[in-house]
Amino acid sequence: MILSRRPWLFFGPAAVFAGAAAVALTLSSDHEEHPAFTTVLLLFVSMSFVIAGLIGWLRRPSNRTGMLMVAVGYGVLATSLYEANAAVPYTIGTVFGSVFIAIFLHLLLAYPSGRLLSRWGRTLIVAAYATAVLAPLLDAMFAQEQTCKPHACPDNLVLVSHDHAAHTITTALSTTAAVLLFAGAFWLLVGRWRRATPAMRRQLRPVYLAGGLSVVLLAVGFIVTPFSGVGNTIVSVALIVTFTAVPFLFLAGLLGTTLARSAGVGTIFSAVPERASPGEVQEGLRAALRDPTAEVAYWYEEGEHYVDVDGNRFDLPPDTRSRVVTRLDYADSPVAAIVHDPALREEPELLEAITSAARIALERDKLLVEVKARAERYRAVLQAMPDLMFRISRDGTYRGFNAPNPRDLLSEVVVGRKVHDRLPKMLADRFLEAGQAAVDRGTPQMIEYELDFSGETRNYEARFAASGEDEFLMIVREITDRKRQQEELEASRARIVAAGDEERRKLERNLHDGAQQRLVSLSLSLRLAQGRIRSNPGGAEELLEASREELTQALEELRELARGIHPAVLTDRGLEAALEALAARAPLPVEIRGASCDLSAQVEAAAYYVVSEALANVTKYAQASAVEVTVERRNGRAVVEVADDGIGGADPLRGSGLRGLADRVASLNGKLDVESPPGSGTCVRAEIPLE
Amino acid sequence: MGVTVLIVDDHPSFRASARTLLEAEGYDVVGEAENGETAVGAARKLQPDLVLLDVQLPGIDGFAVADQLRKLEDPPIVILTSSRDGADYGPCIGECGAHGFVPKADLSGAAIAAFLVA
Repeated sequence: MILSRRPWLFFGPAAVFAGAAAVALTLSSDHEEHPAFTTVLLLFVSMSFVIAGLIGWLRRPSNRTGMLMVAVGYGVLATSLYEANAAVPYTIGTVFGSVFIAIFLHLLLAYPSGRLLSRWGRTLIVAAYATAVLAPLLDAMFAQEQTCKPHACPDNLVLVSHDHAAHTITTALSTTAAVLLFAGAFWLLVGRWRRATPAMRRQLRPVYLAGGLSVVLLAVGFIVTPFSGVGNTIVSVALIVTFTAVPFLFLAGLLGTTLARSAGVGTIFSAVPERASPGEVQEGLRAALRDPTAEVAYWYEEGEHYVDVDGNRFDLPPDTRSRVVTRLDYADSPVAAIVHDPALREEPELLEAITSAARIALERDKLLVEVKARAERYRAVLQAMPDLMFRISRDGTYRGFNAPNPRDLLSEVVVGRKVHDRLPKMLADRFLEAGQAAVDRGTPQMIEYELDFSGETRNYEARFAASGEDEFLMIVREITDRKRQQEELEASRARIVAAGDEERRKLERNLHDGAQQRLVSLSLSLRLAQGRIRSNPGGAEELLEASREELTQALEELRELARGIHPAVLTDRGLEAALEALAARAPLPVEIRGASCDLSAQVEAAAYYVVSEALANVTKYAQASAVEVTVERRNGRAVVEVADDGIGGADPLRGSGLRGLADRVASLNGKLDVESPPGSGTCVRAEIPLE
Repeated sequence: MGVTVLIVDDHPSFRASARTLLEAEGYDVVGEAENGETAVGAARKLQPDLVLLDVQLPGIDGFAVADQLRKLEDPPIVILTSSRDGADYGPCIGECGAHGFVPKADLSGAAIAAFLVA
């Protein structure tokens, strides 16, 4: 639309024509007492609004303030219809002559955005427009008998009656409505001033000043009007000047003090030192924007987020009534962002000028801030590490350290001291040797050592890496627990091996003493029988009978041995059947629960041996009357429990059997517990992780 | 009169079988001992021609017993026996003063006689 892009093309010339018509109407009016004064007032006020409005409209096309100002100007011009001598324009002028006041109120409440943002504001303005038309209409319908000067008034076309009572009522209604509306508008304006941010107040100030001045002058005018003479003239001139100035004050507020300040923009950054820190640039921006709360955020490429002037992560806030974000991009990639008062949006020139200037400075600072952010992150990484860290010169002087746990330090004074001053000579020598090797060869070194802390020996692992040409970094980590676990593991492994050897020895012994002896006897008996079979068939038969018995015994012993090596029933029929077989052989009642859960062969074997050994112990020591065996899955673990109601008081480390079981369970990353309070039975519990 | 024999073994069943077997083949079993300590005493007292000596005994083993037996005034012929294979004992059999080794399963009058001749 040409109208929206170049409003002056239409509204400018139109205002000139309307102005000319208004002047003609006023000067030719036969019921205007002060044609000259009215003409001047009309022209100055209307034209100042139209001109200021058009300038505002042109400079801020998206802001409706300029348009509203033009509308006020036209509204003022429309009042001249009242001066017409013909009945129709006179009546129109009478009815619509006050609309400009409603438009002015609209302008005032909608300033500076030109839009009525609150529901109350919108309601009030709708009421104002309605009142501005209805009140004069009612007044004209029930008008008083009127005598116009110097000549009679034109015909009032909407006159209903000259009834005095009706007139009084309509006047009272109109006055009440007007008072309510002005009071409402005042309340809204005061409320907004109180809520306004400093930048917003700066923008509101000229307009509120103009509005207040207008009201004061109008009041003075009303007081002075009854008296004539010089005072009246002075007030009249003051009114003309003020009302002419009002739209320009609006315009000043609308455009900000750009002109006055544009010189200042350049000086912001010249005032800021050449190599200003990001913090100083932020201060400069705050001063330039006159927004002491403005914040600068820099885009941090590596982290893909913004950081503040100190390099800390900064999340841009969402736009609100009190804070908005202006992003500064360069070729579609973010450079920085300024979080500021939304009122600055109403001063785009200022913002634009400042951000353009700032972009250069910020682009440069971005690198600085990125370095800070990176340093910040590394510091965080260092602090999160549980290790002691030392920077040590090649000749063995401490240059710096980081000790997350001060109890790891042998002495509090570190920096400036020598390695040999703080540590036993042997250790200091090893440190220096490893550190120098790291520096000289460029390959990281590692040593393990132990230190005594008031009787307690702690193990450490120290890593050495070159950090520069004459310095190395030593990172020390306590490995006491790891070392202990490792030792326990090794001991457990050795016990498993020893237990295996012992098992095999026992097996060989059993084979030798048992089945093998029987087979030897059998062999001898058979040889004897063979010798007697002819000479003494009766004796041979006896020998064969004895041999058969010997063989049965041998077979039974072999079966028993085989069962000890690995229970066939476990392999063939699973844990449940194997446990039932154990229960059947036990000399006391054994109840088995939940052994049907699906477990791996290793876990099943461990469970079987736990139950087998525990049952053997119950039989030997517990003096129990019953045993309960439970095998179940619980929280990703297989839990095997053998609980008896015997005398308790069992020592978990008593037998090699339990120790061997603990090792077997530990080899599957599980643990074996024995609870055996005296008099309350014994509970052996193995927990083995399933993965 | 046949060759006199002392049987030393901790398994009664073997002692019984060996006695029956050897007596059936004409040997004269004059005594039995169930461990090394009593074996040496019995040998001194009974003066057997031959001692059939089990290697694995509770207490001192057959090798030690053989060593003690050869130091007697009139040492008997010592035949070691075991349910294990002779090769399992390596050079011990030859070094302890025994005259031979017969696996228990191969025990017979003939097997012993071979060492008597030698």
